[in-house]
Amino acid sequence: MNLEIESIDIRELKKGAKTCVSDHVLTVNLKELEQVLLKGSGCLKSVDIHLVYPGDSVRIVNLMDVVQPRCKVDVQDAHFPGFIGKVQRAGVGRTRSLRGIAVVVANPYTKRHYSALLDMSGKAAELSKYGQMRNVVVVPHMAEDAEDRDFEDVVKIAGLKTAVYLAQAADGHPADEIEHFDLHLPSLPRDNGLPRVACYYQLYTPQHDYKGISDKCFYGTDVRNLLPTIIHPNEVLDGGVTGHQTIRSLDTYTVQNHGVIKELYSRHGRDLTFCGVVIGVANMDPVQRQRKAMMASGLIANVLGADGVMTVKAHGGMPHVDTGLVAEECERLGVKTVYSIQCLVGHGSLAEAAIYGSNLLDAIVVTGAPVEKMKLAFKPERVLGGTPKTKIYHPDPVTQLAGDSTIEVEEFLIAGVHDQTGGARIIVSEY
Amino acid sequence: MSEKKLRMVHYLNQFFGQIGGEEKADVAFSVKEGPVGPGVLLQKLLGEDGTIMATIICGDNYFAGNLDRASEEALKLVEPFKPDILFAGPAFAAGRYGLNCGEFCKTVGGKLGIPAITGMYQENPGVEIYRKDCYIAQTGDSAAKMAEAVNRMVSIARKVISTETHSKVLAGDQIGKPSEDEYFPRGVLRNEHTEKTAACRGLDMLLAKIKGQPFVSEVVMAKYDSIPPPPPVKDLKSCEVALVSDCGLCPKGNPHGLSGRGNKVWCTYETKDLFPEKGSLPEYEVAHTGYYPKEVLENPYRILPVDIMRELENEGIIGKFHPTYFCTSGNVTPNLVCHDMGEGIAAEIKKRQIGAVILTST
Repeated sequence: MNLEIESIDIRELKKGAKTCVSDHVLTVNLKELEQVLLKGSGCLKSVDIHLVYPGDSVRIVNLMDVVQPRCKVDVQDAHFPGFIGKVQRAGVGRTRSLRGIAVVVANPYTKRHYSALLDMSGKAAELSKYGQMRNVVVVPHMAEDAEDRDFEDVVKIAGLKTAVYLAQAADGHPADEIEHFDLHLPSLPRDNGLPRVACYYQLYTPQHDYKGISDKCFYGTDVRNLLPTIIHPNEVLDGGVTGHQTIRSLDTYTVQNHGVIKELYSRHGRDLTFCGVVIGVANMDPVQRQRKAMMASGLIANVLGADGVMTVKAHGGMPHVDTGLVAEECERLGVKTVYSIQCLVGHGSLAEAAIYGSNLLDAIVVTGAPVEKMKLAFKPERVLGGTPKTKIYHPDPVTQLAGDSTIEVEEFLIAGVHDQTGGARIIVSEY
Repeated sequence: MSEKKLRMVHYLNQFFGQIGGEEKADVAFSVKEGPVGPGVLLQKLLGEDGTIMATIICGDNYFAGNLDRASEEALKLVEPFKPDILFAGPAFAAGRYGLNCGEFCKTVGGKLGIPAITGMYQENPGVEIYRKDCYIAQTGDSAAKMAEAVNRMVSIARKVISTETHSKVLAGDQIGKPSEDEYFPRGVLRNEHTEKTAACRGLDMLLAKIKGQPFVSEVVMAKYDSIPPPPPVKDLKSCEVALVSDCGLCPKGNPHGLSGRGNKVWCTYETKDLFPEKGSLPEYEVAHTGYYPKEVLENPYRILPVDIMRELENEGIIGKFHPTYFCTSGNVTPNLVCHDMGEGIAAEIKKRQIGAVILTST
């Protein structure tokens, strides 16, 4: 399967009468975009769209997703297949991508216990990759008779539609970079002396499901009962997989730029052979978990023929144990494993970060300590996606509001800082 | 360093405060303007960057004799100077002095919300107790190494209050690693900026592992003690059984302040109040962010089978259902904290002569 991503760098963003990209400047007709988003959705009453820039005194709250503007170029109705476009394989042909811009989606009606936020100024903006970009903030408003869980899905789709709309605006604009993601698994060389390396990607965990309903994150469907299976890495990069509602260090933008998958591609043919991706879901039931570990490791060892595997997990402690089981089963089948985890404790030693203990898991990489708390001494002039009185989550029983002059936030709730897929330049040290 | 001239207060014992030796260990607090004894060197090294406004002196026995009273008094004496940073000692190997310096730094620094720096020798008992609460510079075992100790304390101070922006730590506060700045590790895990992404580091490690080459794991698993299980209950019919849970279910308002993540608190509730047999159940909340609590809030017996326990008692299958529910929240709580909470709960269980416990979790 061969995917070509043509990237265009956006150096300026403004609103105007005609949506287009000219000379690296993206102009957006906000009213037209709103009409596009309202079409066919009974759940939406209206959509506010804001353009925000690095340095703005803005805090965006109740974040549901962040998306990189991308669209398919050579096939109709194929954008984010299953989510927006017709169900078909993602990851082939040509995709246009805009860099330096993100679609930031907020749900002001959310009843979830916590959501992510993004500041365009101050500490959070410095640390977040999205704080350095010019962003299109999409804030849908719920129709009176809409059900709030259905509305959540509609909000997510609005973000994806916006991403497509913006990327389509660059039709005809020359690309600044063209990347090729060309991997044909059946004909991978076996005698070139390079180790075969796979990625185990835990797509989702259902433990935070609002109203017990899983987020649709795979070709427009939820994956709570997914048995482990093999997919092509391009399907992850090209819109077959999206991020988790409320993000938790895994928004769609992060998935579109999957750290481990891109790193495997960059080394393919050089120091390793990238031999495929197995996806699985964190299971809440122990028997299902064991079955999944057995099946996933079987696919990695006996079907992909991997010599080594790196695991990627969703945020949380149970996902940690879950991928640990998969990693152990891989080791038992002779597949060398590197297990990626997060440090979910702020105190103690790094040894305490390993919630799941096993002598077989001797190669561990820590993508970050996402629950480290950060004081944000930034009082925004404007709050988008909510109001200055919107409560900002803190695990201790304290009350803090979006408009306060100082808030304390766990880092995983600042969009664009931590990255479950291993793409952030962060390491955890003992102090 | 910061442009603003920083205000500092220094705590010393009777000896370094130039009042007297062991015979003066009972003297109460006194305050001197400016630096005294080792404070003079401290001031010299700080130069234009900070001023020691005052030195608080207290006898080792007076302080150690009543830590709470001493900390209260110290706070009252320190507060008017409005310090930005506190120094104490260094105490070297002196045990009482070390403990007092640590307590001073922890309570006064803690109440004022400012950094506090002291210095101790590695075997000083103050190190283990207070290293998490303040910066304890590593020092030699006696005042012969005063210059080195004070130098380290000043160097830590410069980092801690620095407004320079090229910090490696994500949160931006300027502090060097324990090995760089020679202080005892404070048991804190910090995110740092680094050159290579986790994906890159992971694949480097994996390739080394596949090739049989040495690699360094970012985490080396802790070794856990094996705890043999106690013998089974001889006679359930005469046994009193209690419910213990880490689900975080508590009365609405969370009166004991359980934290939804990294919680350190356990508490008890009487089952007759929290789960009355007659009438409607009170309002609950769940202080635990590791699970979606809808089902538990609708039916608390899902996680705390109080109804079943009462049935078992009525049917004579268990001797008695203990009327107190032992409550905590267990979501990414560090092992040592779990250990401490477990010890606390177990001690109470034993005191009440409860014969067995059912632990429920999520």
